[in-house]
Amino acid sequence: MHKLMMLPGSRLVQHAAIALAIWVALTRLNQSVDPLLSYYLALVGMYATAMFGMTILVGLSGQVSLGNGALMAVGGYAFALTSLNWKTVPILGLPWNAVWSVVFAGIFGILVGLVIGGLAARLKGPYLAGLTLGVAVGVPAIANRFPGLFGGENGLMLTVPYPQGGYDASAVDTGPADTGADAIPTEAPDLPTEQAPIGGESLAPSDLLTVDDLGGAVSSAAPSVAPSDLITPDDLMGATGAPIASMPAEPSALASAGTDLGSTASGGVDAGSVDVSAVGGLILEQWQATLSITMACIMGFVALNLVRSRQGRTWQAVRDDSIAAAVSGINPSRSKVSAFVVSSLFAALAGAVFAQLLTYVGPGAYGLGLSLSLLVGIVLGGRASLLGAIIGAVLLVWLPVVVDRLSADRGWPEPVTNNAPNLLYGLLVVLVVLLAPGGITGTIRQSLAPVLRRRD
Amino acid sequence: MTTFIDYLLGGVSSGAIIALMALAIVLIWRSTRVVNFAQVGQAMFTTYVALTVRDATGNWIIALLAAIAAGAVLGLVVHWLVIRPVKRVDTSGAIIATFGVLISLQALAGMLWGGDTRGYAPPVSNDGIQLAGRIWPFSWYDVLVIGVTIALVIGLTLLFTRTNIGLAMRASAFNPEVARLSGVRVSRSLAYGWILAGMVGAIAGVLVAPTSQVSPNSFDILLVFAFTAAVIGGLDSLVGAVTFGIGTGLVISLVSGYSDSSNAPVVALVLLALNLLLKPDGVFGHHHSRAV
Amino acid sequence: MLTVSELSVSYGAVRALANVSLTVPPGEVTAVIGANGAGKSTLMRTLAGLVRPAAGSATLDGQPITGRKAEDIVRMGLALVPEGRSTIPDLTVEENLRLGGLWRNRSDRAASQAEVFDLFPILGQRRHLRADTLSGGERQQLAIGRALMAKPRCLLLDEPSLGLAPLIVTQILELVSGLARNSGLAVLLVEQNAVTALRVATTGIVLNLGEIVQTGPAADIASDEQLRHAYLGY
Repeated sequence: MHKLMMLPGSRLVQHAAIALAIWVALTRLNQSVDPLLSYYLALVGMYATAMFGMTILVGLSGQVSLGNGALMAVGGYAFALTSLNWKTVPILGLPWNAVWSVVFAGIFGILVGLVIGGLAARLKGPYLAGLTLGVAVGVPAIANRFPGLFGGENGLMLTVPYPQGGYDASAVDTGPADTGADAIPTEAPDLPTEQAPIGGESLAPSDLLTVDDLGGAVSSAAPSVAPSDLITPDDLMGATGAPIASMPAEPSALASAGTDLGSTASGGVDAGSVDVSAVGGLILEQWQATLSITMACIMGFVALNLVRSRQGRTWQAVRDDSIAAAVSGINPSRSKVSAFVVSSLFAALAGAVFAQLLTYVGPGAYGLGLSLSLLVGIVLGGRASLLGAIIGAVLLVWLPVVVDRLSADRGWPEPVTNNAPNLLYGLLVVLVVLLAPGGITGTIRQSLAPVLRRRD
Repeated sequence: MTTFIDYLLGGVSSGAIIALMALAIVLIWRSTRVVNFAQVGQAMFTTYVALTVRDATGNWIIALLAAIAAGAVLGLVVHWLVIRPVKRVDTSGAIIATFGVLISLQALAGMLWGGDTRGYAPPVSNDGIQLAGRIWPFSWYDVLVIGVTIALVIGLTLLFTRTNIGLAMRASAFNPEVARLSGVRVSRSLAYGWILAGMVGAIAGVLVAPTSQVSPNSFDILLVFAFTAAVIGGLDSLVGAVTFGIGTGLVISLVSGYSDSSNAPVVALVLLALNLLLKPDGVFGHHHSRAV
Repeated sequence: MLTVSELSVSYGAVRALANVSLTVPPGEVTAVIGANGAGKSTLMRTLAGLVRPAAGSATLDGQPITGRKAEDIVRMGLALVPEGRSTIPDLTVEENLRLGGLWRNRSDRAASQAEVFDLFPILGQRRHLRADTLSGGERQQLAIGRALMAKPRCLLLDEPSLGLAPLIVTQILELVSGLARNSGLAVLLVEQNAVTALRVATTGIVLNLGEIVQTGPAADIASDEQLRHAYLGY
């Protein structure tokens, strides 16, 4: 954090003002749109948080990593395991609060980032990409290896605080009806055969995670009303009244695809004593979006400061010419490791948010597809730009929605609909690399440059 | 002891397939200094082609030939449309572009053939051979796989040492400028590398299909194994790719046998990380890979 | 006969060659001398097709070579031995030679290889060894041999003396000038080491900062003290 202090105070205030303005605007937006859009907003925030880290790692530091999806898994699992298993904060002895889970997600992210980054800093280009590819495939596989701890293939189920009457009534009413058809995606990275049927349709195996993949998980989880392992409104409001009980997941319930969820849910209806009025009666999706937006704005602020600090220039100097940087007193490998660790922190925190959005952590959700999504987003938006990360995040969420709508209008066959977003992503990535390496933001900046220069 | 030998035997043919895929990666690295992360995507696609042809003809060999032809075309297309124009722009770009190709191919396969996992019946029995009063973990199909691999390795060795095309390819890879000054059409030689890699990858895909099934994603894990083998072998060395490809297969078979097959990716990761840690010279040795 | 007229080359804003005109007649060695950075290597690389000229042209026996690809120029009969022992270390001696005439038919290639082995017998003895096992002088011979495998009418030699013992350089250059006399090969030799170069050359050309400052019989240039002080630094 001392690097932040190198910025003049006025810059810091300016950045804080930007982040706060965006936060206020998005929060207002969140309250005025329907739950589905709120959910999309939540996804955008989650992707953006992870991709700010990618901007630093891939864009500024020039290390093409496929491992950030796996680092999100680290954050997600750390979040889930600490909130499911720990009742007090180790050493400090304070009562456990889900905010602590986020903190621990960040800590684990940093630790794992140090290990992988330490290895990765010695590697160039394709070696790094290959190693992190191994991480993307290997780390989620660890979850399968220790089913007792990590819940294996089925992952761990988190439940959502959902006191009766506190949310939009229609969401509660329609929710349970959905659960019969919906299921949580549980495919393992190497077993794409087990596609989760969503809304009665069978998804084509797709390497990238799309909103479709996630939507099912959410609507099925929405109605569960068991005591919470997620951040509840209370956690953030400073109230300690809500009991944060631990409820280990039952893989069997998941294995039988959703139908059991309804009964689990009804079992815990009145367990939560959350004072919903304290947060103005947000429905679940709005609450998730609030968390995600808040995280994205805080981390966006941190990223903005890092990018514009001396550290940001150090990363770029090492990317452009590590030998020249070394000559001028920079330690290139330390610079690369620090970029990796920072991006791991971002990924882990995004992973924790993702766990909240899915109300579930599992190897399928954090597979190679997620890593590839992050790479696609950052490349399309613009590799070295935080704004590019945001644009990329929007694209990742918005494009599948557009394709879905087009498909519904034109009556495309199912395999086409399911794969069209990924085909577009793949082709766009190739085209961007060939024709506009700066991505959307880079290209816009380039075409604006002459105009701006003339004005000077 | 017999279990140990059984596990080893069981790993040979999967090692041979990893070796072929690693060979494909090495062929392209040698010619273009690009690691083609789309290689398994191309192999997956050509295996679908083989599946289609086989459904139509019922003939395993015709299907294999169709896959090889498709692999050659696909390799050439990826090289000409993607890698050639991107290479001089930036080094990260080439890596990212191959992932773009991978994503596109997987989506396209999903569109054309659907996402369901399809079986691919082996042309000869895949059951353990019964010999000397016991069933060995070794089938006639394993024999076929190993035979094809050996034939291919011999063929490639002859191509590179005995033919003009092979010499031109090696020269273009080692020193493009001297190759050009010697009258070699270097860009054509590089294209040959991609074509050849596409063909080898296509063979690997058809060979692995009976054991892994065919779906747009079912070869992903093979990419990790093959990359591991290729890197440990030095990325430049055909012999290294084959040796460590088979070695990786054996290690994975042992680990899967004694513990659980879900450990395999983690083991590959550990092998890769150890190699990169202990042999940084082997990794940094290539002056071409500097700067990113 | 290689004829170069008004050749100019620029690297961005830097002009590396300005209006260079020269001829390289068959049967003799023409030496281009000059200090480091005079544009000698640029001249060679431009003629061989590795660098595109900004203006001017070059012809080989009347056929234009500027604007063509390097791999076509060598097939037309102009071969370059670039600076720094341009062999491929991972290939054997014989493979390096085979590479030099890969596009020619087998019997032509065999004839050329026999000629190279006659000229440099050591290469014949080491034909199955990898090039990286050779000494510096042997590798320079191999590099020249590889160029001769194309059966060129014009041979360009860029700094063959670099890093070699003077005795070995003299031996190699005398072999080359003998070859030029006997077979009518046109040789363009670029050297920083003016004394050695002018000893084997018929004509000398002094290049300074991309421009030709003097052309004349090699012996005259070697004895021109003023020229030596001004441009050659000895």
